[in-house]
Amino acid sequence: MDVDLRPVKKLRESAAVRSALGPIIEAVCTSPADLSRLRVVCDWIQYRSNFRDAVVSRPIGAADVEIAVDLRRCGDSAPDDLAAGVKHALSDQSGLALEPWARGRDSCIWRFNALYWQALSAWEQATGREYEQSLPGGESDARNTEAAGELILELFRLWDDLDARRALPGELYVLELGVGNGNQARTWLDEFVRLDQRHGRDYYRRLRYLMGDYSAHVLERARQAVAHHGERVSALVVEATRPAVTLGFLAGKAFLVYISNVYDNLPTDEVALIHGHTYQVEIQAFLGEQDADDIAGRFGASRAGLVPLIDRLLRIGPELLAESAPHQFADVGQAVSFWQAVWDALRLRERYTPLEGLDSYPVSPSLTGEILRPLLETEGDVRMHVSNGALASFTGTLPLLHPFGRVQCHDLFLTGRQQYRTGFYGPGKYDGSVVNWVNGPLLQLVASRRGFGVEFTPFRQRPGSNITTLTAQARD
Amino acid sequence: MADPMLLPTTVVGSYSVPEWLERLKTEYYQRRISAQHLAEIHEVAIKAAVKDQELAGIDIVSDGELRRDNDVDYFLARIPGVHIPQRAKTDYFDYYDAEVTRPLPELPERSEAPERSGLRLADDFRFTRQLTDRPVKFSFTGPFSLSRRIRDHAYPDPGDLVRALARRLNAEARELAAAGADLLQIDEPFLAGYPEQVELAVEAVNIVTDGVAATWALHVCYGNRYARPSWEGHYDFLFPAVQAARVDQIVLEFARKGLDDLRLIRQHEWDRWLGLGVIDVKTAEIESAELVASRIRRALEYVPADRLMINPDCGLRHLAPEVARQKLRAMVAAAAAVRAELEGGNKT
Repeated sequence: MDVDLRPVKKLRESAAVRSALGPIIEAVCTSPADLSRLRVVCDWIQYRSNFRDAVVSRPIGAADVEIAVDLRRCGDSAPDDLAAGVKHALSDQSGLALEPWARGRDSCIWRFNALYWQALSAWEQATGREYEQSLPGGESDARNTEAAGELILELFRLWDDLDARRALPGELYVLELGVGNGNQARTWLDEFVRLDQRHGRDYYRRLRYLMGDYSAHVLERARQAVAHHGERVSALVVEATRPAVTLGFLAGKAFLVYISNVYDNLPTDEVALIHGHTYQVEIQAFLGEQDADDIAGRFGASRAGLVPLIDRLLRIGPELLAESAPHQFADVGQAVSFWQAVWDALRLRERYTPLEGLDSYPVSPSLTGEILRPLLETEGDVRMHVSNGALASFTGTLPLLHPFGRVQCHDLFLTGRQQYRTGFYGPGKYDGSVVNWVNGPLLQLVASRRGFGVEFTPFRQRPGSNITTLTAQARD
Repeated sequence: MADPMLLPTTVVGSYSVPEWLERLKTEYYQRRISAQHLAEIHEVAIKAAVKDQELAGIDIVSDGELRRDNDVDYFLARIPGVHIPQRAKTDYFDYYDAEVTRPLPELPERSEAPERSGLRLADDFRFTRQLTDRPVKFSFTGPFSLSRRIRDHAYPDPGDLVRALARRLNAEARELAAAGADLLQIDEPFLAGYPEQVELAVEAVNIVTDGVAATWALHVCYGNRYARPSWEGHYDFLFPAVQAARVDQIVLEFARKGLDDLRLIRQHEWDRWLGLGVIDVKTAEIESAELVASRIRRALEYVPADRLMINPDCGLRHLAPEVARQKLRAMVAAAAAVRAELEGGNKT
């Protein structure tokens, strides 16, 4: 039996966490499970709102089983409760399934995520707070004038040099993906104007600042924040995983692509190497028995009618749902309440399915699972995110860069494969959206195969934050 | 009947490197397969590449540069005096860190001894020569571009490193000519990034071609590493300096950049051959033969047909094999269509 203790820092810090280990192992050892085919994985799930119960079981292929434990929630539990939790996890697969088993990226949790951004206004009205307040730290990042100034001056140096070679294009493109409330754009553009006046080359006249976001609601808010920059700024609804669909015209032209807190919110699969075998982590969203009954009762639905009702919500959104089912939802607010209740209760079951050949596993439209091989085969067992959406977005963004352009991205990045051995990196819930840390080494590898160097540096604007800055530029 | 070599079609040099070959090359650079095995794999791949070109109808073929890990290291790794501390690579296509700490050893004047020149390019040529009855173009990276990937601690004047490399390549060119190579091409993919150094590059080209009885081409593009341009701009910088290059042909990219720079050919009265890039190698989109033919017709407004060679913008290495084949077929069909029009015109 393997026991994989990941949160090593917490094990040192917390006696409660350490004391939970004995009862868990005791419960596992006294269960009827075949211990030679069992592994126990202990995480510390930092997201108070997440998709897991404190103790769950996951089939590995046809015969093996993994018991996964959240030590944060087990630390204060009585030994008897822990033992009961383990036994329950090994025997119980009940609940109301919302979907068939699927790869992570195909799960309905991403439909919930998409709905959150599409119907953000309704969600915010119901909660009474803007989405930024649910981000870690309570605000979106990067509104630091000094950092913006440094970046702008670097651009000026580059443009001066290109101009001297008669190689400076007439229009100077900067793209921001994931615009938040527009504060970053406003800070950046205001600083640009100030520095350009000092520099005296009138680059502002040639500047084209493009703001791209998935949410029209967010985009409109950002547009208002930079209204005083008038025609220098264009706002575009961009599907982050397919930037070329909207931004194909920008190929080879962008001097700077600025991306903030986008990648951690894009669909992802997970893969695992266990005892030399490669597995896909398949998931299934479900509601616990009690939660399903409660929600059905609260909103006048039958238990059998709950799944189609949720599907309807995800297809047409809360406003149309309220309109189309006034007997169940008196107004949009009630439909949003239904949405929030389902989201709060939503859990994920997991199982490991053998992955037959990495090359037959499509990571993104332009990548097969072969790209994972160097990371999977480096050193021993690992479970990691594939960050499919982030990869698709990143690889779709790189071709937009001018030969001397760069991508600067602030997000939750792992910067080394070994981190997967010592921490939990999602999925978690941020308000109505999904969060997963991004597999930085994988992005680094993919960029390298495309001739780009990637560097990770601590996020300067907020020391101590989990945010890391990725910078990608052409090598050689 | 039109001259069969009117508007001849050719390639710039590199051919599509399939993903499986990339992986095997990387395996070699991570020391998981032997040099002998890789050499045998390369021979099979080259045979297939030559056959692909023949089947596509290309008039002047190449070995596809399939033995090369990239456009620089294949040469630097074999030039005596170039020091490469770490020869294993994470990925085969990565560039080495190369340096020179003392001046490169010079060859005796007019050396004919193959073991002294070191790069053994003539062996590569001989292998390709016996695979096909068609004319073979043999290309190699020029001294200026090679110098850009070397940290130079040896020459107070950086131009002297370029010249020393040029002398080494001149010896190789002599061996190539002696082996029967009659169409040689110097590639300068880095030159567009250093337009102010075009005179030095041309001086070095002339050292390479000096005394070598072959038809010489000079290829200058805006870079094709990872199928991306390394620089942007216009070919203005080449002129008038390139007029002093002792070459018979310049091979330029036009498909991706547009045909505006054709004006330079007329403006500067370039009266030698032009290798006209009509296929964009940086996109997998297949050009139609009609589109390619329109590019050739436009070029004929600036260059007479008997001085126009038809080729892709640059090497095909980053294109998938089937895409490369289709692009070449479109190019050949376009050249044939325009050739037929010219033949009709000649009759009337």
